[in-house]
This record gives sequence, structure tokens and C-alpha cells, in this order.
Amino acid sequence: MVQLFNVCKAYTRDGNALEDINLKIPKGDFVYITGPSGAGKSTLLKLLFAAEKPSRGQILINGQNLTRMRSSRIPFLRRQLGVVFQDFKLIESRTIFENVSFPLEVQGKKRYEISKKVYQMLKSVGLEHKLTKRPLELSGGEQQRVAIARSLVVEPLVLLADEPTGNLDPEVTLDIMELFKSANARGTTVLLATHDRDMIHRFPRRQIGLEAGRLVEDRTP
Amino acid sequence: MRQSPFLCTAAIGTVTVALCILAFFAIVVLNVQQLTQNWSREVQVVAYLDEVPAKNRLEMLIKDAQMIDTVEGVEFISRQQALDGFRSRLGDDATLLEGLESDFLPASLRISLKEGSRNRVSVEKVVSQLKSKKLFSDFRYGQDWLDRFDSFVSLIKLSSAILGGFLLFAALFIVANTIKLTVYARRDELEIMSLVGGTSLFIKTPFLIEGALQGAVGGGFSLGFSYILFEFFLHQGLSSLLLSGGIDNIIFLPTHFQLMIIAGGIFLGFFGSLLSLRKFVRI
Ligand SMILES: Nc1ncnc2c1ncn2[C@@H]1O[C@H](COP(=O)(O)OP(=O)(O)O)[C@@H](O)[C@H]1O
Ligand SMILES: [Mg+2]
Repeated sequence: MVQLFNVCKAYTRDGNALEDINLKIPKGDFVYITGPSGAGKSTLLKLLFAAEKPSRGQILINGQNLTRMRSSRIPFLRRQLGVVFQDFKLIESRTIFENVSFPLEVQGKKRYEISKKVYQMLKSVGLEHKLTKRPLELSGGEQQRVAIARSLVVEPLVLLADEPTGNLDPEVTLDIMELFKSANARGTTVLLATHDRDMIHRFPRRQIGLEAGRLVEDRTP
Repeated sequence: MRQSPFLCTAAIGTVTVALCILAFFAIVVLNVQQLTQNWSREVQVVAYLDEVPAKNRLEMLIKDAQMIDTVEGVEFISRQQALDGFRSRLGDDATLLEGLESDFLPASLRISLKEGSRNRVSVEKVVSQLKSKKLFSDFRYGQDWLDRFDSFVSLIKLSSAILGGFLLFAALFIVANTIKLTVYARRDELEIMSLVGGTSLFIKTPFLIEGALQGAVGGGFSLGFSYILFEFFLHQGLSSLLLSGGIDNIIFLPTHFQLMIIAGGIFLGFFGSLLSLRKFVRI
């Protein structure tokens, strides 16, 4: 599903944020990307949803070569992906319902179809009673669940999550892990960047370790 | 699309103010142009005839003069008509003319020029063409006055072109910056739209339509405002300045100029949005 060949990324001239990464993630996998702060976890995810271009190497997602992709095709790649950001990136002026329906609207889906999907999605993250609230009226954990609902509502082939539990307390972390696991069970390939040892311990899965931009560990329990 | 009412008002207001200034400027230029056009009717060539030729010869002469492409009309002034004109200008002193023969003033052709040709170069061209006929004793065309008139007209043209261009540029700059604020206020939404797979067209179109609409509304407001201000202030100011120069009416913008102001608003709104979006939408 996701393949990287000799991928390098340099933001500046004096050093690589990622160096010579080779990686193969089959369909339906659940993978942790671990490493200390500044190791290049976010950079790797940004390359995968084409927010950044690799300086060298090739990236394939579902058979599509990102490095050769015309920029007008990037929106269509992103429609196959779900992305969860560490800072949620919700639109504060819109309701929870509108935030979650946003990707479907952008894709030009029909209204009745949107309503049904969004309601079901919000129900599965346990927020169906907060449809008309706005993001800032919700707790951090609830906001993160909204962000996850938004990423999953499009039924993505690949889910990319950048430290989704970074700022949340342990109980909330458990809830959120359940959401990722059930998405994975429905067939979505999950890539989860984290430095939360505890979480990896609780749900052991394949683990890819980065350090200073290099791949230093690839371990399947 | 939802936008803060404050920023929406700011965008419309900026377009309105910018276009009001442009509209005022256009009104002043148009009326000064009216004035110079009026003055330019004075540009004439008077060609004095040595002797009055025979009737068919004279008609040929007039026809020849009319054939010159810059000539608007040719009028024959006979000796008698010249004398009558002179007499009426003397008024009460006309008795001075008694006892004089009726032919002491020469006959002449009074030649007026078409509007675009009322300048020194064209006048002199006409004169030199007539000179080749060798029938005329003298030409009068107010050489000194014509020079001053020419430089006045070109000064007006140059300064209005420079000032108008500057105003338009300033308007675009100011409007683009105000719209940048409205886009900036929604940069999160723009970023998220592109991250969840919105195409460039999908993301930009609502902003462009909104910008164009705000521009059109601003254009309409500016027409309304400048009309009110024109009626109450500008009309009087311009009247005292220009009516003594011989034009009979101070005009507001003609219809096609009004349409141009609206179109200018749409232009400012659309391109203002397009310019600001380039920064925030990178796909
Ligand atoms: N936009 C950027 N411009 C320049 N350097 C960056 C940028 N983003 C990240 N970096 C650098 O790249 C390296 C990896 O960063 P990042 O991928 O954010 O690490 P992580 O997410 O693992 O903490 C760091 O050294 C960081 O300073
Ligand atoms: Mg990071």
C-alpha cells in the first residue's frame, strides 16, 4: 500500500530531516512510527500526504507515484487518505457536524449521503449529541475524536495520524486507540506517529523507529 | 460562505472609496475635456481672397477645401458679408463706415477643422495645401493662441493619464490588501480544504465570486455616493471654475463610464481575491 525507495528530505542545506528511507507497508497493516522529538516522524507523514516533496527518492501509495504526480492530481490522492493532526486543525467557526462533513462536501458528495455518513461517524466516536456545538466548546479529547471522525468519514485507504494522543490523558488515549483499531479492522492501513511507549506496550504492533532522520528499527511483535 | 460582517464591510468600503476617487477624477477630467473641446471650436483658418473668382471657380475652390480630410466645413464670406459683420460689431460707431466703399474688406473662406485636428500641425497642413492654390493673399489662424491651446491640451492629457494610472494602481493595491485580510481570517479553512482534497478551483471559486460580488456592490455604492457628492458639492465647485470658460453644463459620468465603474469594481474584487489567494492556496 505504501512504499518508499531511498527517500531523502532536506528542508535546509545543512542537514537531512530524513535520510535514505526504504519502507514497505502492506495493505491493512497497523504501524507505529516512533522516535524522539525531531527524529523526522512528522516529516515522513507530510511526505505521504504530499504536503512536502521528497528531495530524493520515490514514494508510492496504492500504486501511485507521488514524486511524479502533477500538482493538480494531489487533491485526488488526498481524498484516499485520512489525516489526523496533532493540533486537530478543526475549523472553529463551524459546528462539529460541519467539520466532519467538510471532506465529503469538498469531494462533492450528495447532501443526504453526507448527513447519513456524518451522523453514523459521529455516533461511532460517541459525539452524536454534540452535532451543533463548535470545537472550542469541546474538551481536548472530544476535539481529537472529531478530528478522527473527519479523517475516517471518507473511508480512507490509509490513515495517517501525527501524535494523536500527544496532549491527552490516559483514559482518553484508550478510547482513541479503539477508534484506530476498529478502522484498521475495517481494512484501513494505519500509520501512527507517536513517542508514547505506554501505548505501544498496550497495543503492540509493527514499530518503525526513526532517529535523526534515519530508520533505526523495524520490528514486528 | 460565511465571513465576518466587519471584513465584508471593509472590503466593500475599500472598493467604494477607491472607485469614488476614480469617479471624481473622471468627472473632473471629462468636464475639463468638455471645456477644451468647446474652446477648440475657435480653431479656424481664415483664408483671404485677392479677388473674388467667378461663381463656378469659387464653388470648385470651396469643394477642393472641403476635400481635405481634416476639414469640417467651409464657409464663404463675401465682401458685403464681411462689411456687415464688421458693421454689426462696431454697433453705434457704425457711422464711421459711411462713405466708404463696400469692398474695402476682402472676401474670405472660413474653414473649420474636425475635432481631432484642431491643433497647430493640422492647421498648418491645411494652410500649406491652400497656399498652393495661389489665390489667397493671406491666412489667419491665431498662431500664438493655437500654441498655448495645444500645450494646454497635452498637459491635461498627460497629467490625467499619469494621475489616473496612479489612482487605479493604488486602488488595486489597497483593495487587494483588504481582501488579503478576509482571506487571512480564513486561512485555516483554506488549509484544511486543501488537506482534505479540495481542488484549487473548488477552493478558490467561492472567494473569487465573493470578491467580484463585493466589488460590484462597492462599484454601485461608489456611483451612488459620487452622484450625491456631485450634486451637492462637485457640481458647484466645477461650475464656478469651468462655466466661465464657455461650456453650458457640468456633466456627471455618462452611462458607459458608469458601467466602467461597476466593471472596475468587479475587476478590483476579482483580481484582489486572486492575488491574495496565491499566498494561501498552494496547490
Ligand atoms: N518546515 C521545516 N523547515 C525546516 N526544518 C524543518 C521543518 N519541519 C521540520 N524541520 C526539521 O526537520 C527535523 C524533523 O522534524 P519533524 O519531522 O517535525 O520531527 P518529529 O515530528 O519526529 O518531531 C527537525 O530537525 C526539524 O527541525
Ligand atoms: Mg512531529
